[in-house]
Amino acid sequence: MAHRIVGQRFGRLDGADKVTGAARYSADVTLPGMVWGKALRSPLPHARIVRVDASRARALPGVLAVLTAADVPDLLVGRRMFDMPLLARDRVRFVGEKVAVVAALDPDVAEEALAFIEVEYDELPAVFDPADAIQPGAPLVHENPGAYHGAPAERPHANVQSVLRFKLGDVDAGFREADRVFEHTFRTQLAHHGYIEPHAGVIALDEDERVQVWASNKMPYRLKELLSHALELPPARIRVNLTPIGGDFGGKGSLMDLPLAYHLARVTRRPVKMVMRYTEELMAGNPRHPSVVTMRTGVTKDGRIVARRATALYNSGAYAAFKPAPSVNLGGTSMGAGVYRIPHLLLEGFCVYTNTIPCGHARSPGEPQMLFAEESHMDMIAKELGLDPVELRRRNLLRDGDALANGHHLEHVRATETLDAALAASDWAKPKPRGVGRGVAMGHRHIGVGFTNAQVRLETKGTVTLTIGLPDTGTGAHLVLRQVVAEVLGLSIDEVQIELATTDLFETDSGVGGSRVTHTGGRAAFHAAEKLKEQIHAEATKLGTPDASFATIAQAAAREGRTLEAVHFYDAKSHAAVTSFTAQVAEVAVDPATGQVTVLRFTTAHDVGTIINPLGHQGQIEGGLIQGLGFALMEELQTAEGRISTLSLGDFKLPTIRDIPPLTTVIVEDAVGPGPFRAKAIGEGSISPVAPAIANAVADACGVRIVDLPITAEKVYFALQDRKGRS
Amino acid sequence: MIRLTVNGQAHELDVPSYRTLLDCLRYDLGLTGSKEGCGVGVCGACTVLLDGKMISSCIALAVFADGREVTTVEGLAEDERLHPVQQAFMDAGGFQCGICTPGQVVAAKALLDAIPHPSEAEIKEWMLGNLCRCTGYYKIVESIQAAAGQARA
Ligand code: FES
Ligand code: FES
Repeated sequence: MAHRIVGQRFGRLDGADKVTGAARYSADVTLPGMVWGKALRSPLPHARIVRVDASRARALPGVLAVLTAADVPDLLVGRRMFDMPLLARDRVRFVGEKVAVVAALDPDVAEEALAFIEVEYDELPAVFDPADAIQPGAPLVHENPGAYHGAPAERPHANVQSVLRFKLGDVDAGFREADRVFEHTFRTQLAHHGYIEPHAGVIALDEDERVQVWASNKMPYRLKELLSHALELPPARIRVNLTPIGGDFGGKGSLMDLPLAYHLARVTRRPVKMVMRYTEELMAGNPRHPSVVTMRTGVTKDGRIVARRATALYNSGAYAAFKPAPSVNLGGTSMGAGVYRIPHLLLEGFCVYTNTIPCGHARSPGEPQMLFAEESHMDMIAKELGLDPVELRRRNLLRDGDALANGHHLEHVRATETLDAALAASDWAKPKPRGVGRGVAMGHRHIGVGFTNAQVRLETKGTVTLTIGLPDTGTGAHLVLRQVVAEVLGLSIDEVQIELATTDLFETDSGVGGSRVTHTGGRAAFHAAEKLKEQIHAEATKLGTPDASFATIAQAAAREGRTLEAVHFYDAKSHAAVTSFTAQVAEVAVDPATGQVTVLRFTTAHDVGTIINPLGHQGQIEGGLIQGLGFALMEELQTAEGRISTLSLGDFKLPTIRDIPPLTTVIVEDAVGPGPFRAKAIGEGSISPVAPAIANAVADACGVRIVDLPITAEKVYFALQDRKGRS
Repeated sequence: MIRLTVNGQAHELDVPSYRTLLDCLRYDLGLTGSKEGCGVGVCGACTVLLDGKMISSCIALAVFADGREVTTVEGLAEDERLHPVQQAFMDAGGFQCGICTPGQVVAAKALLDAIPHPSEAEIKEWMLGNLCRCTGYYKIVESIQAAAGQARA
């Protein structure tokens, strides 16, 4: 079916405020009488707090309050598992944990005051490596994590936060069917999301003693619930006001400093702003979990995979509080199966406590980790079998009717078509010069689920206002929702405005994340618009003028004191039987003298549903892909003994405009998604296969297999030297 | 006491000697368009023009701007009309979350002032100090190319 508005390439009509500087992000919110909060953080990875003396800081001119654990309620917070104190009480568990917090009239004074807080520590034995942490006798990060609210039941060791397991068939029997068995181990690094906006929040108590919140948080309704618990206040006393968010990528869903800002506001009777310095982000944000992944695969002589066991050890850090899923684990663990039909499968993810930075969710949580291992492993198996890596993949790709280990069932499988599209566009079969290699990798990503409200109202001038509770994280979702409403109601894009509700308007909403908004927000907007359309028709019929303009209809209703409006609450509980495949080809050159890897060109092919806005869609592909490139080649929070040494964006390298390779994107469109007009999702589709595609290309170019990310020149150089030495 | 002109408006103000130009703009003058990302001169979110030259205002002291002219993102549009660079960033998808955008458009304006028709390599060279985590930069390059074309017309 042809659409008028859906499928049109609209620019960011919703973004005039962003190019003029008028957009007010949380850090820009300024209120009369507002003061600044700053946190003092632990310099030690594991220690008993012997004494805190804030008296000298309290006496500084301009300082209004200093709070320590003794001044805030003794409760634990989290997104799913509640194991984190508001301020460290008796004990610190990682370098960067908050110990005290200051409110001052001026941000610089607040920061200065931190130096006047005296804390005496008694250092405790610490554990940093997840493999060490699960040994008998390892130092315990928490004595009894099973007692925490939201803690999963299974706990093979007190330092295990959670175990996530996916199974198909009988893996032991499967390995007995195999002619050959291969096992390899891979490592991925600790990496921050790299959003340019550090966490920021403003809290004010209004004249009704309601808590007004402005925060860089993408799930306002969940935030309200979490705050209600953390502040020990009924939800009705809390209002979250939506602000644009300066990049999320999975990182902006927790409470972060908000409870402390509240307590400072309560004590000082002033609005309080807390903005993290980027250094604090890098030492105590909620970055992507580092992993150690062991892949073991049984294959028949003709290259059919019959069994696989994949085990991921995730270094989760000192608290589980940042993980939002009920499993308190990373769903991406299921990607240990890759895009393949494997009859006997056991995939396990262990989230392990250590005395390091607590980790959280990051764009397609767990998938870049698992797919780096899985898709590198596939090429290593192909090499051992003497098979072409593409051929090994082809023989094992998922097909219609297959079930995934996470319980999803698949139809409309376009794995082969997507692979073929990437190969064709990348000139896969063409000869290449010496020192140049090509690598392929695949992945797939679900279409997210959740629940969202949309309200539509016909204005007397004949336009429509769409009200939603989803903040703008930058994806362009607001424009997509306007397009959906305009399409349904036969309006132009300019005739649909968007209005953001505070958390007072709706009951609940799952917010932004997990590749869900086009689906859940889109369907909510679609159905609300359909309802409004019916009302408009009924009204026109009543007026006796079936083709009356929207303005006439709205005005007629207004004369009777009525407004035409409709609300829809869309709740997608289970995943549709579709997914989105990605196939990517990296072409790289390796400099034998330095080990430097240059990505010469990159091809990405995506199996997608109806594209609502091609510009925004492509933007998601490109943005995710370059994050994948950074993860592959440069991003790493380097740590030693629990201390992160890359504490600025100068040391924690993100890709720059000069790092982007020539890119070819291929779209395999198949209108079968669960979203409005059969859309799927795209936000998390491009990031995960990038690293293994590059690793496979490096191996093809110079014969060196890098099994730990990032693939730095240094690692490639030493691996080349090593190989020379051996031959 | 320092005197500075910001987006054509003269200001006289008392600032502590340690105040950065970025904090002075955001906090003392209430111009929150310029953003703080890295705070150490790496990301470019705080880019402003000082006497027409691009600087990172997070690592410049406010006193350093005494007697000089500052242009921020708030000063690019003339009489409600967006600067061609701003319009191009909207049309060509040059931003997503928009937190880097004030710095990007100020830097891009300075680029086109210096080199009206930059090559792709010149764009990448000039914009090297402006990080963007959302777009992957492809559409930033396209936006600047579009703005250059527009200026040519
Ligand atoms: S905030 Fe100034 S360069 Fe990053
Ligand atoms: S648009 Fe988000 S960082 Fe550039």
